[in-house]
This record gives sequence, structure tokens and C-alpha cells, in this order.
Amino acid sequence: MSTLHIGDSQLDASWFLLLGAILFVLGAVGVLVRRNPLVILISIELMLNAANLTLVTFSRQLMNIEGQLFALMSMTVAAAEAVVGLAILVDIFRTRDAEDIDDLSELRG
Amino acid sequence: MAIAVFFVAAAMAVIGGIGVISFHQPVRSVLSLVVVMLALSVLFLLLSAQFIFAVQIIVYAGAVMVLFLFVITLLGPARELGRGRLRFQTWLSALFLLVLLGLMWAMLQGVQYRQPDSGVNLSFFGTVQSIAVGLFTTYLYPFELTSILLLVAAIGAIYLSRKRIDDPEGGPAEEGLRPASGMGGNLPPPE
Repeated sequence: MSTLHIGDSQLDASWFLLLGAILFVLGAVGVLVRRNPLVILISIELMLNAANLTLVTFSRQLMNIEGQLFALMSMTVAAAEAVVGLAILVDIFRTRDAEDIDDLSELRG
Repeated sequence: MAIAVFFVAAAMAVIGGIGVISFHQPVRSVLSLVVVMLALSVLFLLLSAQFIFAVQIIVYAGAVMVLFLFVITLLGPARELGRGRLRFQTWLSALFLLVLLGLMWAMLQGVQYRQPDSGVNLSFFGTVQSIAVGLFTTYLYPFELTSILLLVAAIGAIYLSRKRIDDPEGGPAEEGLRPASGMGGNLPPPE
């Protein structure tokens, strides 16, 4: 247990970490359950956001700015990933209808 | 006061996260994700990460989500078909959710929190100035590398969404594989 003093009240760092864990698991389940490739990308964004929350929480708990810097890097990577992923998706949709991610299994291993 | 703000924002985030994975129209999923991001930005402010708060709203909720919305309007409304090829997928993933959440909860019980590194003044912590000091001194090299990353992503997106040489209309191509575009892509096929 690690108490954070915010304003005149006290919050526990583990609350933030638990919220980050819940959001990450929700994103992972979205990737597993949903069939629309677009929604899978959205779920990945949700997982990245949960990781960012954890980074910023530990940054505040340790009073160390490096966690926030890494969260910034993670945001940059997330933006680049979204751009390239969406471009690939648009390219696929231009050729055919891919409403189900299982339809895109030509490269089956 | 801060406790009430935390629980309201956390509830919004969890409800939005459930909305992301349960709505059947992608537009609603994206708008749920915007709710999650706004709630998370409030939490960043609680954690005195002011710069991250602004970047979260401007870059994530403002730019990335608008990009998703553009793509959805470009592709048209696609509804998800009900059944997948893997049976019991929903039940398996519910089991996975419970197991993963239990594991994370168990891990949180055992976290040994380190003492804070130094007594940084909270009025300085997380401001644009403190972020910039880290970003332009110690971490200048990774910071410059992200610019190359963004450049590569932009070039890749332009390359992927360019007009095909063999498809002057720019419309949907024929069924099956396209011929390799680029060099000689518009040559007549060999007899």
C-alpha cells in the first residue's frame, strides 16, 4: 500500500493500478472476442491507454518524471501504430469486404 | 474531494471500456473509447501529470480518434456477423478475463512500493518545464528517434493508400490478387 497525497485527501496508488489492470483486460478481451478488424485496433488502443495510466501512476508514486516521459513515447508509438494499421485496413477493404478478421487468413501458418 | 473525482472518473473509464468491446457498431466503440480517454485524462490530472493530460486530450481524443472516425465513415457502416468460427469463444474469453484479472490482482497484493527517489517539489512535478528538461537533456536521443518513427509511419500510410498505377480509377480492384504495382505495373500482360 502506498498512499498518495492529492490535495487534502489521500488516495492509494494501487487503486490506479487496479483500474489500469481492469482496462487492460477489457482491451485484451476485445481483441479476442470481436471480429471486426477496426474494433480490434480500437481495443489495442484501450490496452495502450491502460499501460499509460500505470506508467503515470508509478511516476507519481516514485516522484520520478521518467514514467511520464515514457508515457509520452508510448503515445507516439500508439499514434504511429494507429496510422499504419488503419492504412493497411483501408487497403484491404478496398479489395474486398473484410467484416470478419478470420476472412483475412491467406497467410495461414 | 479527490477521492470522489477518482471514483467518478474510474467508473466512467470502466463503463466506456465495457462499451468499447460490447457495442456492435464501430462508431459507438470509438465514441466509448473517447469517453475512456477523457476519464483517463482526469486521472492524469489527479496524478499531477499536467502535460500528459493535455497531450492525452489533444493527441489521443482529438487526433487519433478522429482518424478512426474518418476511416469508419470511409469504409461505411459494417455490422458484425454473429457467429465466429471458433466455438465457445465468448466463454473462453470470459474465463481468460477472470483468470488474467485474478492474476493481476494477486500481483498487486505483493507489490513492494519503493520509497520516492527524491523530494521533488509537487508544484514543479509534471509541468511542461519538468517534462522538457527530461526530454531535451537526458532523453534527447530517444526523443529525436520518435520523429523518425513518425516520419516512417507517415510515409508508410501514404504508400499504402496511394492510387494504384494499374487502377487509374482508384476504385475497387478486381477480385483476387493485384499485379505488383510500381515498375511496369501498367504493361500489357504477356501473350
